[in-house]
Amino acid sequence: MSVFHRIVRWAQRKSPWILHFNTGACNACDIEIIAALTPRFDLERLGVQLKGTPRHCDIMACSGPVTKQVKDRLVRIYEQVPEPKIVVAVGTCATSGGVFNGLYNVEGGIDQAIPVTAYIPGCPASPQAIIDGFVKLLKSLEEKKDE
Amino acid sequence: MSDSDRVVTVPIGPQHPALKEPESFMVDLRGEKIDAVRMRFGYNHRGIEKGCEQRSYTQDLYLVERVCGICSYSHSTAFVQAVEEIAGLELPRRAKYIRTIIAELERVHSHLLWLGVAGHEIGFDTLLMYTWRDREQVMILLARLTGNRVNYGMNTVGGVRRDIAPEMIPEILKVVDSLEERTKYYINLAQSEQTVIQRLSGVGKLTKEDALLLGTVGPTARASGVDRDTRRDDPYAAYPEVSFKVITDTHCDVYGRTVVRLGELLESFSIVRQLIKNIPDGPIAIKAPRRIPEGEAVSRYEAPRGEDVHYVRGNGSEKPERVKVRAPTLANTQSVSKMLEDGYLADLPIVIAAIDPCFSCTDRMVSLRDDEAKEGRAMSWEEVSRYGVEWHKARGIDFSRVRIPGGAGE
Amino acid sequence: MSDVQAIAAELQSRFSLPEGALKVQRATRLWIETDRELFPTVFAHLVKGMGFSILCTITGLDLGADLGFIYHLAKDGGIMANLKTRCPKGESIKTITSYFPGADIYERELMDLLGARIEGLGPGVRYPLPEDWPEGDHPLLKDWKAKTVAAAEKGAQADE
Repeated sequence: MSVFHRIVRWAQRKSPWILHFNTGACNACDIEIIAALTPRFDLERLGVQLKGTPRHCDIMACSGPVTKQVKDRLVRIYEQVPEPKIVVAVGTCATSGGVFNGLYNVEGGIDQAIPVTAYIPGCPASPQAIIDGFVKLLKSLEEKKDE
Repeated sequence: MSDSDRVVTVPIGPQHPALKEPESFMVDLRGEKIDAVRMRFGYNHRGIEKGCEQRSYTQDLYLVERVCGICSYSHSTAFVQAVEEIAGLELPRRAKYIRTIIAELERVHSHLLWLGVAGHEIGFDTLLMYTWRDREQVMILLARLTGNRVNYGMNTVGGVRRDIAPEMIPEILKVVDSLEERTKYYINLAQSEQTVIQRLSGVGKLTKEDALLLGTVGPTARASGVDRDTRRDDPYAAYPEVSFKVITDTHCDVYGRTVVRLGELLESFSIVRQLIKNIPDGPIAIKAPRRIPEGEAVSRYEAPRGEDVHYVRGNGSEKPERVKVRAPTLANTQSVSKMLEDGYLADLPIVIAAIDPCFSCTDRMVSLRDDEAKEGRAMSWEEVSRYGVEWHKARGIDFSRVRIPGGAGE
Repeated sequence: MSDVQAIAAELQSRFSLPEGALKVQRATRLWIETDRELFPTVFAHLVKGMGFSILCTITGLDLGADLGFIYHLAKDGGIMANLKTRCPKGESIKTITSYFPGADIYERELMDLLGARIEGLGPGVRYPLPEDWPEGDHPLLKDWKAKTVAAAEKGAQADE
């Protein structure tokens, strides 16, 4: 792996900027993502911050089963995220469509639209599960850095 | 034409205006003020009603619960009440009490969530941190009572699936006592902190006449003096057996909507205490048939955001013939347009937040389309929020100095 | 005589509704069935003459050759008057937005999901389907089948 690549991975590992994108979810996961940032759980301790712009984000955290209205937008935002693109599907809907799998206006999970790096299940994914998922993700990025 | 005369349309929608995607809000700006707003919904449309017809009533409980992740119990209960009415089931009193306790705890989490979101939208992030920390008490309680923080899976046709163990009773009362004290601090903040009062007063005005004409529901309507609350007007579950006030206010603005929700929190604590004190012994469910007879029913439920209406038609089989859901936010969409008209763009985020819509409604990108420029500028919702905060800061509204009483310590 | 029974009695005497058209389900639930011709008059009387100033929503139903419509009206104090009517598919009904401006979005939902034709609605945006949803495709119709194979497969999985 090149030196530049190592640095990017390291920066990601140290304090990733997260773009949170809701693809038509019931909002339970979205609220738990934000709850994970509030004092009781405090994802910010790990350096994780929510940022609104795709061009500066390290990780896309997506919730929801991907409604038809939103699919194109999701793909376009993914395209704007700089390499290496890391996508986390937060919640069971984002993972597989959840209870909405099979409904006519739903694609059925984030990976029906864009490639997904990590899945955090749960309905909703609890703040603890979200933090656990992000810690595992950051660790695996660090391990990749050593390859 | 001077700047203040020219109308610029600000679409709130796609990432880049060159891409033809549906916008959620089209805001006509005259200078800094909003001329008109056109809104498009359906972002969240999943096809749940059709899905209900293809699944059994039991499966539908789990689907309907997930219409909304904030008021999931509202939808679950509204749905199951309609089913129970068609089937002619008379629930045990204890089941009704348990449903009402969960319902009010949900209202508590939802109103505290709203307080935090409102705080965030006006640049008062301390309020977000405090209210969401307080909210954790009720989230943990709900998880202990039901097995999940959200989407409780508590209802079954004919009653509830879990009982409240005797050792949980003091826990419930402890949370209620603690949050009541916290709520009083927030009420004090709203009543005496000038920055809050100034920021929220006169914003998002909706007269009582308009509220009535446009079919507004919930705290938004009650803040315009509309004295309606389904729990009192068309009672269900254990509400006939408790006494509570319907909180109304006459400010007709975002400040009024704040006052109403704070007052409702206090009433919720009182209702839970009454229910705990008087909860009868007995079974928590009666046996229900898998096939629900032919028939129809309408269930109305006062969700945290307002009246939630479910219509169900049975056809004698295990699956419903038709399920129709009218969530409260949908009833409030036209009043939002009205509230935004002739207001400042800087107030758009808090006005929309004040009707307490689903997060996904506010997850929109703002796209500034200036007719003269060749390329449009893209603004995110976050940026409109920040614009609003900075705009008000320039006019003396600064929350960085505002302290929340009782904030020190856990 | 209770409030709801008094309302039912007044409707019966004023409109001479046929046998079975009126049903008192409970103290706050009244169901009324009318044909297309009588509907506007009954509706106007309920709203303007009997205080049913709340429109909760409009439910649309696929009844085969017809579409059914239920206007869920309510008044302060809690009583609901659920007014039902029907109309052959392909034919139109009139908008009620002159009574309830808020009905706009409920009527657009009927148009999108059931293919209802509603006269008198001003220009506006469809709801709730996406802009590029195929014309003439109304998912809540009973015989609606998903257009793509993938969607149909998913639907079959849900049925299992």
